[in-house]
Amino acid sequence: MNKRLQVLIVDDEELARRLSLEYLRAHPDLEVIGECETGLEAVDAIGRLNPDLILLDIQMPQLTGLEVLEMTGRRSGVIFSTAYDQYALKAFDLHAIDYLLKPFSQQRFDEALGKARKLLAQDAAPVTQALESLLTQQSEKLPRLLIRDRGQVHVVPLESIDYVEAQDDYILIHAAGKSYMKTQSLAELETQLESQKGSSKFVRVHRSFLIQISALQALEKTSKDSQVAILKSGAQIPVSRAGYERIKPLLS
Amino acid sequence: MHPILSDRRRFMVYIIAWIFTGVLIARLLVAADLANWSFALLFSLPVALFGSFLTSSAYFVCRSLPFNRRSFSIATLVFASAAMVSGISWLGLCYGWNKVLVLAAEEVEVLHLSPHLLVLFFITGFAVYLLALLAFDVYIAFDNIREAERREAASRLLARDAELQVLRSQIDPHFLFNSLNSISALTAIDAVAARTMTIALADFFRQTLAIAEKEKISLKEELLLCENFLAVEKIRFGKKLGVEFEVAADAEQAQIPPMILQPLLENAIKHGIRNLPKGGVIKVTIFQRDRWLHIAVQNPVSADPGNSTGNGLGLSNLRQRFFALYGDQARVSWQRTDDNFTLEMALPFEQTYHE
Repeated sequence: MNKRLQVLIVDDEELARRLSLEYLRAHPDLEVIGECETGLEAVDAIGRLNPDLILLDIQMPQLTGLEVLEMTGRRSGVIFSTAYDQYALKAFDLHAIDYLLKPFSQQRFDEALGKARKLLAQDAAPVTQALESLLTQQSEKLPRLLIRDRGQVHVVPLESIDYVEAQDDYILIHAAGKSYMKTQSLAELETQLESQKGSSKFVRVHRSFLIQISALQALEKTSKDSQVAILKSGAQIPVSRAGYERIKPLLS
Repeated sequence: MHPILSDRRRFMVYIIAWIFTGVLIARLLVAADLANWSFALLFSLPVALFGSFLTSSAYFVCRSLPFNRRSFSIATLVFASAAMVSGISWLGLCYGWNKVLVLAAEEVEVLHLSPHLLVLFFITGFAVYLLALLAFDVYIAFDNIREAERREAASRLLARDAELQVLRSQIDPHFLFNSLNSISALTAIDAVAARTMTIALADFFRQTLAIAEKEKISLKEELLLCENFLAVEKIRFGKKLGVEFEVAADAEQAQIPPMILQPLLENAIKHGIRNLPKGGVIKVTIFQRDRWLHIAVQNPVSADPGNSTGNGLGLSNLRQRFFALYGDQARVSWQRTDDNFTLEMALPFEQTYHE
C-alpha cells in the first residue's frame, strides 16, 4: 500500500481516545487525522475528512455511534467499541458485525484492525449489507429525525414536529418553535415517517404540507370547499380537498 | 371486637330489627287468638330484647373456634349445643316472664302456654341462634379474607422496597467497564493515577456492598460514598465535571435510606454534564430546618430538546421508595428549565444518639 490509511477516533471519553492512540502507535501504516468527542462532531468530521477507518464508540451522548452512521450514510471501514450495551450487542451478534468490548487488549485491537483492513482491501459488500439492515432495524426504534442544517446537526424528536412544509427543492420542518431545513422531498419524508413505529402520526393535508395529528387544534371552513387547519402552535395550514378526505377519518 | 356491639349504627339497626320481631310475635299471638294486643306486646317485646342479647353472643362462640383449628364434627357439636342452650334459655324466659306478668296483673287475660306453643318457642330460639352462628361465621370468614389482603398488600410494598434496594446496589455496567477502560488507558500514561482510580473504584464498590443491606445510614456515610464515586468519575470526565457540596454541619448525622444521593449524582452526570461539550458544575445543597432534612441537587443540562435522555423512571422509583419508607412524610420534586435541572427532596430529620 502506498498511501497511509487515515483513521478517525470517535469517543466521548478522553482517556478512551488516548488508549486508542496508544494502541495505534504499533501500526505506523495508519495515520490519525482527527479525534471527535461527540456524535455531532463525528458526523461533521466524517463528511469533511472522509477517513478510511473510523474507531467508533456506540454509547455517546447526543448522537450514538449508530446514529452517526445513519446520518452520514457511512457503511464500511468502521470498528465499533462499547463498554456495555445489551441491545446493541445483540444486534451486532445477530448481523455478525465485529466490535470491541471495553476494556480491550492491544491484541484484540490488532485483530479487529486486521479484519477491517482486509475488508477495506477486498469487497466489503457483506458487511455493508449487514450494517445496513442493522441500522434499518435500529432506526425503527428511534422516534427522532436527524437534520443537518447550515453546517449544524440537529436531533429533532418526532413528537415535537408540528408540520413540514415543502419549498422548491427542500423541506422546512417546524418543531417546537424552530424550523429546520432539509434537502429531501416531502414524499420521501412522508414514507420515512410512515415506517416509524412511534406514536407520532402525520397526514399530508396539502400538496406541500404534512402535519402531525396531535399538533392539530381545529379545522376551519374558509369557503365552500376549502379548509384551513389551525395548529396548537397557532400556525394555519391550508387543507386541500384531497387532504380533507385523508384527515377526516382520523379525527372521529 | 364484636361487630354489632362495638358499632353504634349496627347496634341500633340490630335492636330495631329485634323490636320488629317482638311486634311480629305479638301479632301472631293476637292472630292466633291467644292474647289481646296490649298483653301480647307486654310479653313479646322484653322477650325479643332478651333474644337479641342472647343471639349476639353467637359471635363469641364462632370466635372460639378458629377456622384453621376446627373439625367439622366438633363445630357441629358446639354449634348444636350452643343453639340448644340458647333455645332452652329463651324458652325458660318466655315461660318465666309470662308467669311474672300473670302474677303482676291478675285481671289481665292470661296467655295460655300450651305444650305446642312451648315447643314452637324452643324451636324458634334454637333456629334463630343457629342462623346467627352461621351469619357470624360468614362475617368472620370475610373479615379474615380482608385482613389477609391487607397484609399481602403491605408485604408486597415491603418486597418492592427490598427489590429497589437491590436494584440500586447493583453495579452499573457502563460505569464499571468504562472505568476499567480508563484505568487501562492510564497505566501507560500515568501509573499513579491508574492506581488511585483502581483504589477509588474498589472503595466505591466495597462501600456499596456494605451499605446496601442497611435500612438507614448516616448522611456522612452517603457523602463518603459520593466522594468515592466522584473520584472515579472525575478521572473519567476530567475538567468537564465539577461538583460543589454545601452541607450544613448539623445535617451530617441525619439518618437516611442508603444510596439516595449517589444515584442522583450519577443521573446528573449521565443526563446533564455528559451531554455538554464544556461540561458543568453539579451543586449539592443539604441542610436541616424544622426537623426536616432538605437535599437539593442542581445540574446544567443541554438546552437542545433532542438531547433529553432518560425517562424519569429512576426519579419515580425514588418517589416510590420514599413513599414505602415514609408514607406521605417525605417529598421529592424536580423541575427542568431550558438549561438546568433541579431536584429537591425533604425527609423527616432523624438522628441516632447511640453511635
